[in-house]
Amino acid sequence: MKRRAFLGLAGGGLVAVLGAGAAVYSQAPVFPKRPEPDLETAMGWIALRDGRHTLTLPRIEMGQNIATALKQVACAELGQDWDAVDLVLHDSDAPRVRATVGSESVMLFAEPLAQACAALRDAAAAGQTEGLVQVEERPRETLRAFKAGGLIGASPALAQGREIVTGAPLFVADTAGGAQRFGRVLRAPVTPEIASHPARWNLAAARAVPGFVAVVEDCGPPIGKAHGLGIVADRPGALNKIADALDIKWDIADPHPAPDIEPAIDVDKHLDAGPLPHAVLDDDPGTGPWDVDMRIDLPLAAHGPIEPRAAVADWADGRLVVRAGSQDVFYVRDVLADALSVNADAITVTSCRVGGAFGGKTLCTVEAEAAALALAIGGRVKVQWTRAQEFALGFHRPPSSHRIRARMTDGQITAWDHAHVSSHILFTAAGVPAWLQRVTDQVAGDGGVARGMAAPYQLGKARAAYDAVRLPVFTGPWRGLGAGQNALAIESAMDEAARQAGADPLAFRLRHIPDPRLSAALAQVGKIADWGTSAPSVPGFRAGRGIACGIYKNTSYAAAVADVLVDPAGYCQVTRLWCVHDCGLVINPDQVRAQCEGNLVWGIGMVLTDALPVTDGRVTAETFADAPLPRMSDMPEITIDLIDGKGPISGAGETAIVAGPGAVANAVLAATGIRPTRFPLSPDQFVA
Amino acid sequence: MDILVNDQPREIPADWADETLLDVLREALGLTGTKFGCGVGICGACTVHVDGQATRACITPVSEVAGRSVRTIEGLAQGDRLHPVQQAWLDHAVPQCGYCQAGQIMTAVAFLDSVPAPTPDQITTAMDANLCRCGTYQRIKAAILAAAQVQP
Repeated sequence: MKRRAFLGLAGGGLVAVLGAGAAVYSQAPVFPKRPEPDLETAMGWIALRDGRHTLTLPRIEMGQNIATALKQVACAELGQDWDAVDLVLHDSDAPRVRATVGSESVMLFAEPLAQACAALRDAAAAGQTEGLVQVEERPRETLRAFKAGGLIGASPALAQGREIVTGAPLFVADTAGGAQRFGRVLRAPVTPEIASHPARWNLAAARAVPGFVAVVEDCGPPIGKAHGLGIVADRPGALNKIADALDIKWDIADPHPAPDIEPAIDVDKHLDAGPLPHAVLDDDPGTGPWDVDMRIDLPLAAHGPIEPRAAVADWADGRLVVRAGSQDVFYVRDVLADALSVNADAITVTSCRVGGAFGGKTLCTVEAEAAALALAIGGRVKVQWTRAQEFALGFHRPPSSHRIRARMTDGQITAWDHAHVSSHILFTAAGVPAWLQRVTDQVAGDGGVARGMAAPYQLGKARAAYDAVRLPVFTGPWRGLGAGQNALAIESAMDEAARQAGADPLAFRLRHIPDPRLSAALAQVGKIADWGTSAPSVPGFRAGRGIACGIYKNTSYAAAVADVLVDPAGYCQVTRLWCVHDCGLVINPDQVRAQCEGNLVWGIGMVLTDALPVTDGRVTAETFADAPLPRMSDMPEITIDLIDGKGPISGAGETAIVAGPGAVANAVLAATGIRPTRFPLSPDQFVA
Repeated sequence: MDILVNDQPREIPADWADETLLDVLREALGLTGTKFGCGVGICGACTVHVDGQATRACITPVSEVAGRSVRTIEGLAQGDRLHPVQQAWLDHAVPQCGYCQAGQIMTAVAFLDSVPAPTPDQITTAMDANLCRCGTYQRIKAAILAAAQVQP
């Protein structure tokens, strides 16, 4: 048995070493580390001091309400009341945990937390009040946190809920008061994939702006190849005026040689040149004729969290303290140490509640800007990106282009070929330079693009292969990585195959599904949606009902039914959604439902709204008017049914995105007879 | 310049007179419950009340509210007693990330003040310009319907 400490954990007294602040940034990126959460790392997550328990949340809280779920686990295992356990968020001085991504938090972190709590509970019961606790791993079935009853399977008050509705400071930019200044790093109006530097600027004019504090040339590493010029002001409103007054002239490298995105990822052009290089399924389906042969295309799209990323950095006594709204404060710490040539031990990055991330807040950007500006002026600097910076400098959902073909024999699919061309997700161009991406392309492909390409059906001779093309705009992780887009393509093709076979789409899927949990979810959604009846008709509209299902990361299951109405001008409205979800044992059913609801809204967005305009190889959207999000008026009534999970705990944060989009798209086909193939849907394709 | 913020007279420092109401609230007065989301009045995260009207603080110069009454999310509860809309938000576990919710709540409160017994469609119309990327709209609507039953 390993020895592990939970009580009296002290912060280490570490020596700060300041580097020379070199402005030459390393060419090799820092990669995030992904340690398995185990009992060793659980050390320090739970503590007992003066009769009160403190749960140090080992995950980032960004709206999945994982603080609530893990507090339920802790309270259940400790045998403590909800209000007897205090919640604090972690910082980078704690033992490293991996980034909060991939819907893993309950699946991977609940058990080590429960083991730690069980050991602490028993030690306290035995009279121990201070010092270290020996943890002996006990059989999972003896843990209280994995037995339904009490707080497990309940929905207690949301952790931080009262703070949210009363406006208490929770988010990174909510740090206020004191000698705080406001910063921004200005970058050229070109894609960060093209090298750019500030060449000349009018310092005198900037100095004349009331509130001016500094112009900072050494303002942190480039974003992509976009080197910036930092500005600092006493008041936030002065930043725009200083930026205007500076009138920066930029040195900008030659334009991107292939600025057009659509032809770069056109799946048919790639197939004309030969097979796609990365196989997920590698049977040989043979060549035509095909019963189904369809093309699906989705554009670049923005995460659109309502919180633009922000950071507050403070240098004091040779230490850098950064408050961050990142999905991985350890990675931010590592990048800051590398970029600023500072010993990592001299940096603390503190996690704040994140105002929406969806995979988009996984790199170190604004944190390095704030740290560099704070270093330059020797005080605290807050930087929050503008909405236009979010669009221009962030990475986005890659566009994707699919060709799916199926051949059937006696109503059963016997050959399947799914080709998918997209851009990088895990090896995002926002963090991985082109030379290194050529290496990752060779040795690893991109598991993010691949996610969900192995369709959850028996398809006979099935091939699924992809390629990822570096584009002039940055792409990267997004909710579900490639799973939502792949599932939309697969579920559209399955729907089309069912129609070609003259079969009911639900029954047709059932006879191709080998996994009984997916079959159960699909059958259940058919039941609650009264599948087989028609979508309610409304005079003047075309009504349709569609169905889809999928498995996320081989562990979580979802099936959905959608009703839509399409007006004579071709506008689609989703009028009803049903979703059945199975993620095994559920800690907090209400919040699993909330995640389903969110994913279904994202599904509506994927079909009806999500697109980020690009002109001449550069994201040109500046506001939500240019890149709209789903609104309340886009919402149908949603019914969620959770399968009472007997299976192992799996993820809920991204699962329903594999079912919702397909259900909506298939409902549009049912309503109009026109197969949606280009997303988001353009009304002129569906004019009556 | 003075404004009344949550019933308290607050003096705005002279050099902040050109700032937006949002930046003054957050950075000069430390009332950070009101959020910056888009800066152009589209998303609604910055919604406060000015003389009872829902107002986008990010596009409102502070000079425009001189001498007027501003209420922010911090000024909605009476002591420990939450406003019925805040309580309904908790009862329906509305927040996911929570960032847009102060603006959602302030929009909802001003709406219910003018339409105390709304229909679902009226709620949709009133709330349609408040964006939530997490997708909490169904719960927002349910919470507003519930709060309408218990308006003070």
